[in-house]
Amino acid sequence: MVATAPAGLEASSLVKRFGGTAAVDGIDVSVRPGEFFTVLGPSGCGKTTFLRLVAGILTPDSGRIAIGGADVSQAPIWARRIGLVFQNYALFPHMTVAQNVAFGLAMRRVPRAERGPRVERALATVRLEGYGRRKPSELSGGQQQRVALARAIVVEPDLLLLDEPLSNLDARLREDMRSELADLQHRLGITTVLVTHDIHEAFSLSDRVAVMRAGRVEQVGAPTEIYDRPANRFVAGFLGPVNEWTGQVQRVQGGVAEIMLDGLRTCRVAALPGSAAGDAATVVLRPERLALAPALATPAPTMSAAGALAGRIDQVAHLGNLVNYRIALDGRMLLAQALPERSGALAVGTPVRLSWDDADLAAVAP
Amino acid sequence: MTGAAAGRAALGVRLGGGVWIFLGPALLLMLAVYLAPLIDTAVISLHPNTPAGIDRSHWTTANFLRLVDTYYWGVLVRTLRVSIIITLLSVLLAYPVAVWLAGLGPRGQTWAILVYMSPWFVNAVVKSFGWTLILGNNGLVNNGLRALGLIDTPLRLMLNETGIVIGLLPGHFLFVLLPLWAALKGLDGNLRWAAMTLGARPWQVFLRVTVPLTLPALLAGAIINFTMNMAAFAAPALLGGTRTRVLSFIAYQVNLEELNWPFGGALAVAMLVVTLGFVMLAQGITARGLAGPRR
Amino acid sequence: MKRTLTFFNLLMIVYVVAPIILVVWMSFTPSMRFEVPIASFSLRWYQELFSYDAFIDSAWLSLRLGLLSALIATALGFLAAYGLVRGRPPGSAVLLGLFTAPLIVPAVVYGIAMLQFTNLVGLYGAFPALLAAHVVIVLPFAVRTLLAALEGQGPELEWAAMSLGARRRHAVLLVTLPLCLRGMVSAFLFCFLISFSEVTVTLFMAGPAHQTLPVRIFNYVSDRIDPTMAAVSALIVLVSVALVLVLNRLGALGTVRK
Repeated sequence: MVATAPAGLEASSLVKRFGGTAAVDGIDVSVRPGEFFTVLGPSGCGKTTFLRLVAGILTPDSGRIAIGGADVSQAPIWARRIGLVFQNYALFPHMTVAQNVAFGLAMRRVPRAERGPRVERALATVRLEGYGRRKPSELSGGQQQRVALARAIVVEPDLLLLDEPLSNLDARLREDMRSELADLQHRLGITTVLVTHDIHEAFSLSDRVAVMRAGRVEQVGAPTEIYDRPANRFVAGFLGPVNEWTGQVQRVQGGVAEIMLDGLRTCRVAALPGSAAGDAATVVLRPERLALAPALATPAPTMSAAGALAGRIDQVAHLGNLVNYRIALDGRMLLAQALPERSGALAVGTPVRLSWDDADLAAVAP
Repeated sequence: MTGAAAGRAALGVRLGGGVWIFLGPALLLMLAVYLAPLIDTAVISLHPNTPAGIDRSHWTTANFLRLVDTYYWGVLVRTLRVSIIITLLSVLLAYPVAVWLAGLGPRGQTWAILVYMSPWFVNAVVKSFGWTLILGNNGLVNNGLRALGLIDTPLRLMLNETGIVIGLLPGHFLFVLLPLWAALKGLDGNLRWAAMTLGARPWQVFLRVTVPLTLPALLAGAIINFTMNMAAFAAPALLGGTRTRVLSFIAYQVNLEELNWPFGGALAVAMLVVTLGFVMLAQGITARGLAGPRR
Repeated sequence: MKRTLTFFNLLMIVYVVAPIILVVWMSFTPSMRFEVPIASFSLRWYQELFSYDAFIDSAWLSLRLGLLSALIATALGFLAAYGLVRGRPPGSAVLLGLFTAPLIVPAVVYGIAMLQFTNLVGLYGAFPALLAAHVVIVLPFAVRTLLAALEGQGPELEWAAMSLGARRRHAVLLVTLPLCLRGMVSAFLFCFLISFSEVTVTLFMAGPAHQTLPVRIFNYVSDRIDPTMAAVSALIVLVSVALVLVLNRLGALGTVRK
């Protein structure tokens, strides 16, 4: 459907202030042509402002936005060749589905004869053939969502911008729409920027994710990359629960740092750029990477010699397919996530031995 | 960030001064046909009136000093008295009406409110005319009482202050009723139950919970009601008669019969200042709202 | 308790609507005097009415004034409300205060000001001056009604339209305006109702050539008392009640409360 080659998006040193506070405080982002790129962050982090700057709803105080290499920083919204999908869909309630989809074609002066077939094609793309004569109010939330998508893609935009598009749908529908959206983006190959606070949405859809906090981008990377190697404590914690140790760098060699964890033991992890012996360090470990076994059982042979620590189960929560444990260890609590034992979850009070592979640890900036 | 902030940026940046394309027409109209006349009148009120017309070369405060002359002072006092009586009666009547309204179903409330609003949207002249048919010497009331043999000479129900009060009250009643009704509806129903579980009787709940919590709304409505009463023209003119004149009718006579515009202007300025003062007072009360001191 | 309240309210309702009902009822009297018709009804005063050229002229004037002022005020009100809601220029509160000031400033004061001002600029008794004054008087109702309509809409639909290539004027004409239609109709009817009922300012500034229906009645009340007046009044009541019922259906009466 997209005739031209997909365009990339470049945002550099983007700043937008409201009153005294900077909602967007110096953002540099580069979205590759054809990429599905997500801006992820808690509410109030400036991600919606960023999207509105890219869309042209807002104008930046400083910085530059380029779509497909062309500077559009000062271009009005109607001249930016973008497709925009809103959280509440913003379908025109007084127009039919077909009229909604045809709106952009009329505004862009597409010849009348071409409009009908293109509207049909766009509706087919979102699996809504035959819904053209309905009013938006007669459709379900998921169908409205698809009309909004059809309306956005029918004009063959350079860039598709999605503002929390799935957050108004119920859980089941959201799952369906997520895979449909991924499929659609893949088929059309259209450069897409999604803004969301939903980590699952971001991870399941995106080629790359930018995590935002307080107007700044904290980290950009592929989902697994930022999950396993978070750049700092905020990113680590925002993407899911972590066990966290503080310690001191003993020495750095060949990009690997040897870190003493809380006087517990030393570990070897990928060094943060610029870190040197004597620096304070923070090391994180995801709960699902913390292995535990009942202390009475024979020690597992895979455990590293330095590994096993003795702890005691303090709290148990069943998630069905998984079990979350809170484990007391030397006066602090650790989190572990494991498949349930065949005989069920371990009971509170059970002594356990904890271990991990150092490769799963990540040193993070404070 | 808020939608408001985004809205400002969107239009403000895109259109720059273009927002004035939208605001310009109404603004020009209000400046030319509203502010300009009001300012002109304020200026005229500071000039002396001479047999040859307004003397624009001299300035004077004499027109304002004349307002405290015995005759005009008397008119002012009557206007105040009538207005205050109407407001007090409205406040007293508004509680039982508002409580009754709040107890009706949604449809019933809509219709009942419409009925209570009807005197406001029906032309004041028409209503006053209706009142003359009821209150006059040969009106419905006097004829009825005579037919029943209760009176020999007709009661004087109009062409006096009584007539003004009776005729004006319904038209401005809604300015007390509607805020009070809204405040009553906004009251947390659990407050009543909470008070009752603490041993309060219904009338105690009314006096110690309902009234204090609705007082700000009532007060604000009462002040608006009062300013409307002060400014009313047609109803007092038709129901007050030649001897019971109020300020607004004096203003009519001075401006259109005596053609003394400087003094007429002074009357207008005085009414404007008094009204705006009271409205600001009411707004202060509304702004403080229910967050004000509570018991 | 409940019964007492209901009884009190019935009395109260009788009190507030009595003059309105009576005027309408009285207009059907067959007699020369004001007598409440009970046995026989007659339309003679309505027929009489149409032979009074003065009343016919006044009715036309009121109608013209109401329609024109409502039309102009609705247009100006939409533009102003749009500018205030979407633009939020510095001093928005002051501007809104100015646009709605005629609700607060006594009509007598504005009437005096217009009497003196139209004389100053040589437009005393001119129809355009009267029309302008009526637009000013009804403008607050248009602005408030349309403010509510626009605030309820939010800017997203316009953004959506503009992201699809629509210029602002197209977004306003094709999206915002059609969706404000209910508000526009409400504003228009409300403005017409207010203009149609206006007495005070008109009485002060209109001059003898432009007597609207209410002003005509006001002037007649002193010297000519016959049931024709009741017939005119009944017609005014009819128009007002019809308009208010429509406005109520449109949900537009809430703007009075603020």
